[in-house]
Amino acid sequence: MNRQEEERALLHTPEGVRDVYGKEWKEKRAVMSRILREMTLYGYEELQTPSFEFSDVFSREIGTTPSRELYRFFDREGETLSLRPDFTPSCARCAAKYYMEESGPIRFCYQGSAFLNRSSLQGKLRESTQTGVELIGDGSVFADAEAIALLIHALQSAGLRNFCVSIGNADYFRGVWEAAGLDGTTEAALRELISGKNFFAAEKLLEEAGVAGEERERLLRGSDFIGTAETLDEAAASADNPRSQRAVERLRAVCRVLREYGFDEELRFDLSMLSNYNYYTGIIFRGFTYGVGDAVASGGRYDTLLARFGKAAPAIGFMIPVDTLLEALRRQRISVPVPGEAVRLLYTEETFSEKLREAEKLRAGGQPVVLEPAH
Amino acid sequence: MERTQEEKYLTIALTKGRLADRTLALFEKIGISMEEMKDGSRKLIFENREQRLRFFLAKGPDVPTYVELGAADIGVVGSDIIMEEKRRVYEVLDLGFGRCTMCVCGPEEAREKLRHHEMIRVASKYPNIAREYFYNEKQQTVDIIKLNGSVELGPIVGLSDVIVDIVETGSTLRENGLGVLEEVCPLSARMIVNQVSMQMENVRIRGLIAMLRAAQSASANLKFASRKRGKA
Repeated sequence: MNRQEEERALLHTPEGVRDVYGKEWKEKRAVMSRILREMTLYGYEELQTPSFEFSDVFSREIGTTPSRELYRFFDREGETLSLRPDFTPSCARCAAKYYMEESGPIRFCYQGSAFLNRSSLQGKLRESTQTGVELIGDGSVFADAEAIALLIHALQSAGLRNFCVSIGNADYFRGVWEAAGLDGTTEAALRELISGKNFFAAEKLLEEAGVAGEERERLLRGSDFIGTAETLDEAAASADNPRSQRAVERLRAVCRVLREYGFDEELRFDLSMLSNYNYYTGIIFRGFTYGVGDAVASGGRYDTLLARFGKAAPAIGFMIPVDTLLEALRRQRISVPVPGEAVRLLYTEETFSEKLREAEKLRAGGQPVVLEPAH
Repeated sequence: MERTQEEKYLTIALTKGRLADRTLALFEKIGISMEEMKDGSRKLIFENREQRLRFFLAKGPDVPTYVELGAADIGVVGSDIIMEEKRRVYEVLDLGFGRCTMCVCGPEEAREKLRHHEMIRVASKYPNIAREYFYNEKQQTVDIIKLNGSVELGPIVGLSDVIVDIVETGSTLRENGLGVLEEVCPLSARMIVNQVSMQMENVRIRGLIAMLRAAQSASANLKFASRKRGKA
């Protein structure tokens, strides 16, 4: 390789990471500031956790990421470290470490990079920007509603108009299956199929497990319950076990509180929304909009996660993948207001002092100024 | 939001070839016709203005990609491709046509090699499916070679011991002195849906699924009835 080729090769970034600059960065920065402002208005305190931690923090029982998608490496002592794939385990660790004695609610928010070692050529970033909140120590329905309301406000503040937040409750299906006496393996397989909306395969699985006719219908009917608040009534009517009833009741209660916030048409309910993440225990929700193939927000309740770090406390949170949100804004042609362009002041050796005074005055008034030599 | 739902086009990606023809025939049964698409036009994308639908043809392995990334709301593709590509999409309906089987094939002598945990070479267009089958189901260590077509050549020219490929009638195999040694799984055409579209266009997409289901069971009943009539 000659020198010129070598230099050119250095210009590329590795696959899955990229530079953000110019107008794009301005927009990204603006969107992130607006979202952060909403979070701050709800009293969430920003925190910064390290980019990498001991791998155990993101282990299978705790984390959301298959271990082969983690960036892992060793430190000098031979400990295995991982770049964070998401912030929730770190936030939970922080809460347990610094607020062990605190019995009241703790509100955290964060913005930063998360790293996923995904397979290549799938059109997805390996380093992505995430922003989100965690509300720890409040297990009430008001906390559920606060998280969802804040999410809606955050998405609105970014300029998004046509979107919905779909809410489900992992407990609904758990109740139905528990009542039917399904074994663990079938249940796990069924959960994966239902969350993939692969209903015919789910039907087949139940057939093979020896669940027949009407019973099978009943186990799967929940998958039809996607829609507005009325679907909750249907869902309640079709599952008469106490656990599912409680799950639907919880969703109704969340819905009532959210109406107090003035939200209704933004809400959808989807009882077949299950998460493969082990840590979600109650309601789960995702934000959807046009133009991108992925959710623009995801979150839920994880009441058992903190106990893994030694502090038993309920918690709920959500995360917005900022890059996906920005793509949605671009696709929907929503412009993000960015701070004004800098004015250019040209100077010569003789006029420099005069131009400098002028620039200082403008800068003091908040106007960005570039000083440039005149040719 | 309700208003925009009416205005928005639903985009459907079809797998080029026979699968697309069968799909269009099925759509016609539920009153969605794409006249433009029939006369061998070279256009890439076709619209049905009244029903706000848009169709395009793509290579099979690309269909789940279009759907996952939201460039298409719905896709029709073989389940072999879904298994191979492992995209995050909702797999909502078995369309019932395009039935065939994913098989391990090879010359009769190779049968013995599949019985032991001996290391063998496997050629396939579907390296992920092959790996999954040999590693997880059979616990056999294999060397997988990805080929892009005419996979049957593998054992013939000595590139591999066996192949993993789709078998419909088995005539290509027989003509080349190969046979089915093991069946991996049955396959058929599937309808897949983008995760976001399923939420945002829930009413329309679920309506479409329900209509397709009804058309399927109607034609199944018809077949059943005509078979009965034939017997009588």
